[in-house]
Amino acid sequence: MDSLQNLNRVLIQYLYLLPIIAVALFLFLYPVAYAVYISFTNFNLYHLFTYAFIGLKVYEQILTSGTFYTLLLNTVIWTVGSLVPMVVVGFILALVLNQRDIKGRNVFFTLLLVPWAFPAYISLVIWSGMWNYEYGIVNKFLGLFGIPPINWLTYTNTAWAALILTNLWLSFPYYTSVFLSSLQSIPSELYDIATVDGASAWQKFRSITLPLMRSAIAFVSVGGFVFTWNNFYPIYILTGGGPGISTDILVVYTYQEAFSYGYYNIAAAYSVISTIILAIMAIMMLRIGKVLEVIT
Amino acid sequence: MSNKYSLKYRLTNWARLGISYVILAVTAAIAIFPIYYIIITSVNPIPTLASITLRSLLPENPSLEAYYYILFKEPFLLWLRNSLILAGGTIVITVIIAFITGIALSRFNVPGKRALMITIYVMTFFPFAATALPLYLMFASLHLINSYIGLILAYSGGTAIFSSYLVKIFIDRIPRDYEEAALIDGLSRLGAFFRILLPMAKPIIAFVALLAFMGAYTDYALANAFITSGNMWTLTLGMYYLAFVNRATLYNVLAAFSVLMGVPIFIIFIAFQKYLVQIYAMGGVKA
Repeated sequence: MDSLQNLNRVLIQYLYLLPIIAVALFLFLYPVAYAVYISFTNFNLYHLFTYAFIGLKVYEQILTSGTFYTLLLNTVIWTVGSLVPMVVVGFILALVLNQRDIKGRNVFFTLLLVPWAFPAYISLVIWSGMWNYEYGIVNKFLGLFGIPPINWLTYTNTAWAALILTNLWLSFPYYTSVFLSSLQSIPSELYDIATVDGASAWQKFRSITLPLMRSAIAFVSVGGFVFTWNNFYPIYILTGGGPGISTDILVVYTYQEAFSYGYYNIAAAYSVISTIILAIMAIMMLRIGKVLEVIT
Repeated sequence: MSNKYSLKYRLTNWARLGISYVILAVTAAIAIFPIYYIIITSVNPIPTLASITLRSLLPENPSLEAYYYILFKEPFLLWLRNSLILAGGTIVITVIIAFITGIALSRFNVPGKRALMITIYVMTFFPFAATALPLYLMFASLHLINSYIGLILAYSGGTAIFSSYLVKIFIDRIPRDYEEAALIDGLSRLGAFFRILLPMAKPIIAFVALLAFMGAYTDYALANAFITSGNMWTLTLGMYYLAFVNRATLYNVLAAFSVLMGVPIFIIFIAFQKYLVQIYAMGGVKA
């Protein structure tokens, strides 16, 4: 009798989970499975109704092409190149703001939040005007210092610089505020004791701040890595992956293949490959950062 | 303590504070510049990017002409309506699912819960491009292309999963005693959830609603794929068109568009910043 009641209770509890399971199945797992399926076919805009199973041909084509390796390298440049400055700048600003004798901390903090508070999509449209070669305000400022105008988005190196700087502008407030709130959760007694013991500022930083910030940095870096890897808009809006595909990354290229050119099977295969690479790296980082223990 | 030592100490202290303020002032100036620039441009009677000089950063004859133009000469209000319908639908679906799921994941101990929690967390890792294409093809065969419902469902998929995870973490922090007291007072379990937990979860519900709103309101990628007819266009599609396709767009009109679309969000964010930052820090999440 008891076990029957128990079973009944468990079934009712599953009813609560039904909506999310439905969402996960129909809006997530089924589409992903479907993407895997079409990546094994020749399904595209030109074979909409009469497509056939062609096995691993698409993958073979992708993995033997230079395009894929360029995109992979670009994605790594984009992700690591953005993440390192974002974490470093975010951390430094958090340390600066966390000093006890800084006046006007709240005002500065609010001003630093501005890029995060404004919708990123609109900011990117604004930035694309600011990087403009002839008319952009960036070149006009540089002109004040006698620097000749730079054709930012037309050359690969300067395009990367513009992309990463824009991304840094967009993202540093998030890192600053997360780091600041974990810095503030460190008990101040620890520092007081260290001061009494005669520790220097650097020693306090090395043996109190850094060890206690480790999990926050790990957590934020894993999240930031995944987010940046998949971050679509900066590159789509600022360079569109150009010149050529020299600043294109996997997620943007996938989107363009699907919705600009109609190569559904190639796009699907790219998204499968990109997801697998990301999953492997995320799992590795989760292991190292011990994030799963925190969330469950 | 020798005089020399204390002078050295005071000097390093000044240097430290001085450098700190310089860092903060420069960063703050860079942080607000693009927004300042776009607001100023929107009230400047300057039609093109070409005519903008450093001097126009302090306009002499501000005018609201650009606002009149974007509101009444371009279909801004139609785009706004479409964006708000999509955002509204996404909020409703997301909030309902996230609340129910959050409660279940936090309060029940059913078999497979840990697996479900990890699945939810992992799903937030997936590139949206992995699901955008198959969803598009699926919805095309269900005739959900060019419909509000199709896009609302597509947005809700992503936001509901993410939000459930957030609500779960938030409800974990509410002690069970409150509901247990209500159960003893004769309230049903479901009643306890809605009468006790719902009011206490208001902050996270509001946050999730904002997240859902932003997901729909600032999306371009899905809208661009799922919408083909002009009278379904959203603000993001309109902005892309005016900024990158239609070369005849006046730059101060585009600036006025940016201000009208962005500043309300901006004000909400700054007004609730303390509380928003707290939740972001709690979930380790990023919008």
